[in-house]
Amino acid sequence: MEFAVKFLDGFESFVGVNFWTMIFAWCNLLILYILMKKFLFGPIKGMIDKRQSEVDEMYTSAEEAERRAHELEAEYTERLSTAKEESEEIVRAAQRRAQLRSEEIIKEAEADADRIKERAGEEIELERIRAVNEIKDEVSEMAISIAEAVIERDISEEEHRSLIDSFIDQMGDEK
Amino acid sequence: MDLSINGPKEFITLYIGNFELPLVTQTTITLIITTVALIILSLVVYKNVKKRPGGFQVIVEKLVTMLYDMVEETMGRHNLKFAPFIGTLFVSSFFGSILGMTGVLRSSTADLSVTMAWALVTTGLVWYHSIKAKGFGGWLKGFTEPIVVMTPMNIVSEIAQPLSMAFRHFGNMVGGSVLTALIYGALSAVTNIVFGWLPEAVLSVFPPIFQAGIPAILSIYFDVFSGFVQAFIFCLLTMVYVGTACPPPEESEQLPDAAEPSTESGD
Repeated sequence: MEFAVKFLDGFESFVGVNFWTMIFAWCNLLILYILMKKFLFGPIKGMIDKRQSEVDEMYTSAEEAERRAHELEAEYTERLSTAKEESEEIVRAAQRRAQLRSEEIIKEAEADADRIKERAGEEIELERIRAVNEIKDEVSEMAISIAEAVIERDISEEEHRSLIDSFIDQMGDEK
Repeated sequence: MDLSINGPKEFITLYIGNFELPLVTQTTITLIITTVALIILSLVVYKNVKKRPGGFQVIVEKLVTMLYDMVEETMGRHNLKFAPFIGTLFVSSFFGSILGMTGVLRSSTADLSVTMAWALVTTGLVWYHSIKAKGFGGWLKGFTEPIVVMTPMNIVSEIAQPLSMAFRHFGNMVGGSVLTALIYGALSAVTNIVFGWLPEAVLSVFPPIFQAGIPAILSIYFDVFSGFVQAFIFCLLTMVYVGTACPPPEESEQLPDAAEPSTESGD
């Protein structure tokens, strides 16, 4: 069995299949496939997919945030309008209460004034009666002294008094 | 003027008895350079892959996205797992083709051994997935459809499928290189005719000025454009064949003939 390795300058046939070259081509293709899948297609495709999913996620979250913002806006608008209504209600209630209170106060004041007036009237009446009585007494005394002086007649004081009293009564009634 | 059109150069050949095994040829060197270059490129991309891509990564990402989109469009979403393989096949073919532009190296795709090896990988994938989907008996039975008379035709088209793929790719690339070599020869002849009046000593060192320019444009067509188109066609055929062998999971029961067009369109 002859065995030799020769370095030569010949050519392979132009149209021919060399099985060794085929094996070599397969090996090259396999190695390239494994390495390029691991280091080129895999990472690049993974990165593209990752970026894609990230962008999708971003859009989703942005839409979600926008939706929430709209919700919040609507909520706050509603809350503001209810707050306004409430404040108006409060102001109205306060006004009503104040009105009621003022009316009450006026009524009380009127009532007080009436009572005071009444009492003053009563006092005036009492004063008048007292004054009338005093005047009566003075008048009767004056009358007695005048009468004593006029008629120089000594009659009993009781008689005088009853006489004058009846006179004054007549006078008071006539008034 | 000597113009010879040859196969790949043999550099180291192993002889065992009468059996000769060319260990290192121009093709194997091109294959090694392609593989190493692409691995280095992959590692560079892998090291620099960022969430916020730079200019280079944007281009790579665009290409990878195009690849995945194309695989999804041609083979369906369930076959996206083939995308890295299709991409590997494409860049191997394209880089192997344009390396022929250097003049020193020979396009790896201009060697029938390489294109045949790749075409057989496609056929192997098709057969593996057909047998996996339909069972060995079901796969054999597929040859007798639509009628039994068609059986020899189906077998021939099944064999013709890898042969046609391999020869199409090989023929296009090698045809380009042959044409380029012929035009180089013709242009050097033109140089000799136009400057033939010069003395022999001057002519032997005179630059073949007509060889500048025209072959560059032709090289762009034959190596870059043709290399791209052929790599694309090869990958597209692989996608179509493997895709029809792997129909969508829920339709595989309803459409038993789904894998049939692959055998019909193999030529």
